Amino acid sequence: MENNSMGGSVSLDILEKSGRVGHCHPEVFKAALKQMELLNTNSRFLHDNIVEYAKRLSATLPEKLSVCYFTNSGSEANDLALRLARQFRDHQDVITLDHAYHGHLSSLIEISPYKFRKGKDVKKEFVHVAPTPDTYRGKYREDHSDPASAYADEVRKIIEEAHNNGRKIAAFIAESMQSCGGQIIPPAGYFQKVAEYVHRAGGVFIADEVQVGFGRVGKHFWSFQMHGEDFVPDIVTMGKPMGNGHPMACVVTTKEIAEAFNSAGVEYFNTYGGNPVSCAVGLAVLDIIENEDLQGNATRVGNYLIELLNKQKAKHTLIGDVRMKEKRVLLSVDGPHRNVLKIKPPMCFTEENAKVMVDQLDGILTAVEEAMQAETQSVISENTPCRTKMHKDAHVELLSDSTNDPTENPSRKRNGMCTNKHSLLSKRLKT
Amino acid sequence: MPSARGQVSPRSVSAPTDSAAPWPPVSARRLTLWPCDSGSSALPADFFFLRIQLRLSVAKGNTCMMNKGENTSIASTMWLTIGAGGSPVGLAEWSQPCDGGGPLAVGHCHPLVVQAAHEQNQVLNTNSRYLHDNIVDYAQRLSETLPEKLCVFYFLNSGSEANDLALRLARQYTGHQDVVVLDHAYHGHLSSLIDISPYKFRYLDGQKEWVHVAPLPDTYRGPYREDHPNPAMAYANEVKRVVSNAQEKGRKIAAFFVESLPSVGGQIIPPAGYFSHVAEHIHRAGGVFVADEIQVGFGRVGKHFWAFQLQGEDFVPDIVTMGKSIGNGHPVACVATTQAVSRAFEATGIEYFNTFGGSPVSCAVGLAVLDVLEKEQLQTHATCVGSFLMELLRQQKAKHPIIGDVRGVGLFIGVDLVKDEATRMPATQEADYVVTRLKENYILLSADGPGRNILKFKPPMCFSLDNAQHVVTKLDAILTDMEEKVRSCETLRLQPSSVKHPPGKCTGEERSRCTNCNPGEKGIPDIRGQMAWGLAPPLSYRTRRPEDFPERP
Repeated sequence: MENNSMGGSVSLDILEKSGRVGHCHPEVFKAALKQMELLNTNSRFLHDNIVEYAKRLSATLPEKLSVCYFTNSGSEANDLALRLARQFRDHQDVITLDHAYHGHLSSLIEISPYKFRKGKDVKKEFVHVAPTPDTYRGKYREDHSDPASAYADEVRKIIEEAHNNGRKIAAFIAESMQSCGGQIIPPAGYFQKVAEYVHRAGGVFIADEVQVGFGRVGKHFWSFQMHGEDFVPDIVTMGKPMGNGHPMACVVTTKEIAEAFNSAGVEYFNTYGGNPVSCAVGLAVLDIIENEDLQGNATRVGNYLIELLNKQKAKHTLIGDVRMKEKRVLLSVDGPHRNVLKIKPPMCFTEENAKVMVDQLDGILTAVEEAMQAETQSVISENTPCRTKMHKDAHVELLSDSTNDPTENPSRKRNGMCTNKHSLLSKRLKT
Repeated sequence: MPSARGQVSPRSVSAPTDSAAPWPPVSARRLTLWPCDSGSSALPADFFFLRIQLRLSVAKGNTCMMNKGENTSIASTMWLTIGAGGSPVGLAEWSQPCDGGGPLAVGHCHPLVVQAAHEQNQVLNTNSRYLHDNIVDYAQRLSETLPEKLCVFYFLNSGSEANDLALRLARQYTGHQDVVVLDHAYHGHLSSLIDISPYKFRYLDGQKEWVHVAPLPDTYRGPYREDHPNPAMAYANEVKRVVSNAQEKGRKIAAFFVESLPSVGGQIIPPAGYFSHVAEHIHRAGGVFVADEIQVGFGRVGKHFWAFQLQGEDFVPDIVTMGKSIGNGHPVACVATTQAVSRAFEATGIEYFNTFGGSPVSCAVGLAVLDVLEKEQLQTHATCVGSFLMELLRQQKAKHPIIGDVRGVGLFIGVDLVKDEATRMPATQEADYVVTRLKENYILLSADGPGRNILKFKPPMCFSLDNAQHVVTKLDAILTDMEEKVRSCETLRLQPSSVKHPPGKCTGEERSRCTNCNPGEKGIPDIRGQMAWGLAPPLSYRTRRPEDFPERP
């Protein structure tokens, strides 16, 4: 958890979202070493590990989701999910949420408004964008009587419009909790209603758990389970935390969808996907999550952290909202206006770590507020911290000696940003 | 001369220095693999497994692997057992130790590679949002192997991701959409890549209007053969024609995608000069040349590090994608391109970020693989063993009429089996049979090409001269046996379900009644029926036990 940087100071990594169980967890790399020494091949050759791992994974999921496809990255997983959805009933269109991000591949940029709105790409005609179910800043807010139905209704309207134009919906894809969109937690009941509408239109529901699965939410293993026991997506993609840094990901789906895919006659083959080492690593991570009760830890520490942050919210006017769901702290540096600080630490984050982080944040926010009070002109000078235009790369990495070196930050150079005390990234790690 | 491959030596990884988590060193003997082909049309470096008589049961905690028998009509089982304590099981008489035998470039479980990954894993593994030396070092090492123009690197996790990024780069740079590909090409399993892989899309959604297919530059079976005065120019003109047709319809070409040595298309060696001519036409049309080195890079061709370099020192693609061998089993891949292309991509304002791509461990593994390739001089080795293997195979070609062509470079070789030398009709069934028989002889190989008749040889680079000799000896025996069967019974036909005895046993009147000996097609025996005997019936995966595998003579 604590990295010793070049200068000897200790950094607390609270953004290593793919290092689920902690950096360099010995159990994980021991398992990797053991398997690497023994045999690492590809999935043309059956091996126990892939079978064991598929069994363990499917045990964490509802019974309906029983077929696993292994890939190497969340992007590959989402791409395969799209292929599965399209092959199922031969429909093509996809409904996605605004500000969603599903991956960097060509097919996924097309369904990620977070990406295509920024670049020169335009929205493709087979992509339909529904409003994000954001009850803080969205169309229907917390004062609305039934935001879930309202947002779900938007989806229904989109489906109707698509049908009127002769288009057919293949899938509705959503991150179980939107990350790049600003850590959005959909209101209860939203997913169920949407799933109903989508199924009626002949489509499938894809839950993108690439960032939020594996017990991060504390109470449940998978974020979609927060929405109710009765809610089961048709396809679930998982990634990042699966291998604690090792490149691996997975798509789990139902037998019907898998059979429709296989009946096309062309097999799905992924050279590295499901290789013995990856599966050994995946098994080790599952073991650790279980043995070290990381889910419980997430709950406890999450609660504590949210308490501290709420105190900060009372103290600093800069903080507009502190969102959490089921003990997962959502204070991110993202969102459409790039003003949301995000914290997604590894699950071994302790209460001490939380205290340290919040103390640092307190100090920084106090300094920022003082500086803002001193500002008299509207022109933003070199030294004025930017409140809104933070580069989306700005991870809040807290150093005990808060140095920042603007020349080392290529992202700042790129967009000519002013010095920002919040973005302390790009510390060259000599390890 | 390739380094001598001696006895199996127990290999051990030294105990970690971190005393907080001590663990005993694990030593494991390596099994000898007789690499020919991984059994997959999509795989570059393949490996053979020796089938091991199961004397130690799975219950003893040994790792077992089963070949599920794709590409064959019978799910024959082959168990590979590696004893937990290290000693190979029942392997002695068949094993010829291959130091560092591995699934991809440098051999299974190469200790240096494993060590590098392990050490980095212990220290730090993060993502490329945090700068780390490894990614810089690795990019630098890679750039030393490439022409100077190719100096910007993107790291990813799989060849498919690499090709997808190459497609994005090409489109952003040129502003065009269309892609020209070769027939029977395969570039990956992602949605975007299936669209540009005729090998796949012909069975799925069909050809899209922005994809244009040029004929494979196959001088053995294509429209312009070895007797043509200038096949390179002729095939390149085909590409020019395809481009012109597209332009007439108002379409604009973004890229020409080509595997530097088309693999699933049948182990094709494009004629020298082809790439340069094609690049000329593509550049004139405003597109870029993408060389897919995923299966053939990293010294496999022997003479050069990259297969595109076979086309001439002056030929430099605009984008090169690499994968598979790059990490010796670890999921790594890379795209190398020019500054111009990458600047255009950056100018879109969307950064390229890949969570796992370029992680410290992946880069450490990549560096280790490059080190091993250098230290063990595997490139030179590939040239030597490759030439030797080609020579042996050419001798077989002179001996067996079923072998129509032997082509290859380095350790990338294809053996084209034909029914008839004049017509060059692919011998699909026969190739299938040969593959099965080889498996019986503990050699894993597969067939590819549009006619599924080309035996693919793409072993790990540590494949030795002895391995080569052994494989060819077995192949010779099988082909001889096949020819004898054909000679001894002109009218063979076997019904798989009613096989009672080997064909040819019946004589006279009996033969006309016997379903085993009745005519097959055109004198070639329906040999698949023969597979019903001689091999153990497939049992379910879980119920196999040592007793299920009787001793084989």
